[in-house]
Amino acid sequence: MTAMHPSPSPSVGAPGRIVIVGHGIAGLTAGDTLRREGFSGELTVIGQEPHDPYSRPALSKAMLEDLSTPSPGAVTEIEAQYLAAPSEGATVHAGRSAVGLDPEAQTVLLDDGGVLAYDGLVITSGARARRFTDSPDEYTLRGLDDARALRQRLAGRPAVIVIGGGPLGMEVASAAREAGCEVTLVHRGQPMRRHVGDVLAGLCTSAARDRGLHLVDASVTRVHRDAPDGGLDIELSTGGTLRAEVIVSAIGDAPNDEWLADSGLLTDGRLLIDDWGIVAPGVVAAGDVAWRRSGPGIQRRALWTDAIEQAKVAAEALLHGRSASPASYAPYFWTEQFGLNLRICGEVPAEVTPTVVDGDLAESRAVLQWEDPTQGGAAAAVNFRIPIPKLRRLARPAPAAA
Amino acid sequence: MAATVVAHLELDRPRCEGHGLCEEAAPDLMHLDDEGELVLDATDISEQDLEAARTAVRVCPVAALKLA
Repeated sequence: MTAMHPSPSPSVGAPGRIVIVGHGIAGLTAGDTLRREGFSGELTVIGQEPHDPYSRPALSKAMLEDLSTPSPGAVTEIEAQYLAAPSEGATVHAGRSAVGLDPEAQTVLLDDGGVLAYDGLVITSGARARRFTDSPDEYTLRGLDDARALRQRLAGRPAVIVIGGGPLGMEVASAAREAGCEVTLVHRGQPMRRHVGDVLAGLCTSAARDRGLHLVDASVTRVHRDAPDGGLDIELSTGGTLRAEVIVSAIGDAPNDEWLADSGLLTDGRLLIDDWGIVAPGVVAAGDVAWRRSGPGIQRRALWTDAIEQAKVAAEALLHGRSASPASYAPYFWTEQFGLNLRICGEVPAEVTPTVVDGDLAESRAVLQWEDPTQGGAAAAVNFRIPIPKLRRLARPAPAAA
Repeated sequence: MAATVVAHLELDRPRCEGHGLCEEAAPDLMHLDDEGELVLDATDISEQDLEAARTAVRVCPVAALKLA
């Protein structure tokens, strides 16, 4: 509302115009936080997708609904789980992408030729699914349009090859099996191991096999389209080749940072944030696009809870600098696959055997706790409803209990 | 003295998966019971509780909470 150099709060260098690039959970949280912290200047949000903001984690599950009913013709549209609208008084440009940034002039260039001037910039442009080809028979699952397209295709009960055995790949495989598709999943090593450790990965794998998933232990070296029948050939590290009608690639994501290529803000091609989400003076970032230091290396971890924590801290830092608290991560993620509902707090040490705190693993219903002196603890609930704050307490190393 | 109600908190129960991130955001307004079911301890939201309620709505990964 105030056009020229307003001073919304007494904080140092409080900017008058803030642009948020991205309206996923990180961008939305940043907007909320800016308003909560007293920012009353112009707030502009660029949303790449034409849709109102929705929950991404809910997509892989929503994809399932109705598909398991025996009426393939009657596929209803996926109902997105829409998130609360961006913060009050924000101007939202949906269906627009940022294509360039000039940090000297403090402007963001949009794909429609528009130029937005900012005093403060929040980069939450997210990531996109990695893929092998541009074939229409290769699907990914990242956005609402992806979910809708894949669901339509699965309704015809094609044979499906899923590439990648992380949570997303296993969720998609589970959905496709439930829909009645023949499903093969290609993954080098044991699926889910990196995310949930040996014991739970074993549980996931046997549940998947019980439900008819074919597992191929190999990595994929190349996928190519072979004329004339339109199928895709998947070349494996083991030397074999699989022929697929439909493939779903769940092989991770790539940050949407190309628009920053000439900005001078990337460090070795990566958008690196500090513990406050700061990239450069007046520029912060959060969520899937951002890398952060972790021990000796750098890390980009695409978790709902991390995106929220980073966005909150980054927005505070944009207004108040490093006087606010740095980010404090308490990783949490969940997955539903092959009849298993897993909730995990902390980082599971793959090779450590967990203690069964409640329930019984043999019945696939248990609460597990890992103690690892080097990494801190972790805890998991398997088909067990438990308040997450309680699970978090189990995930903390013992001396911290209070 | 009753605070002025500025909004109402609504739960779409079938949608709720019991993650409990809302409880962490607004422990005075809601909690998960021993079964992991969400219980709203307040649905009439005062100005004072509005930010906590908004944060709880935002953090829900399945958009089960609404402020109306």
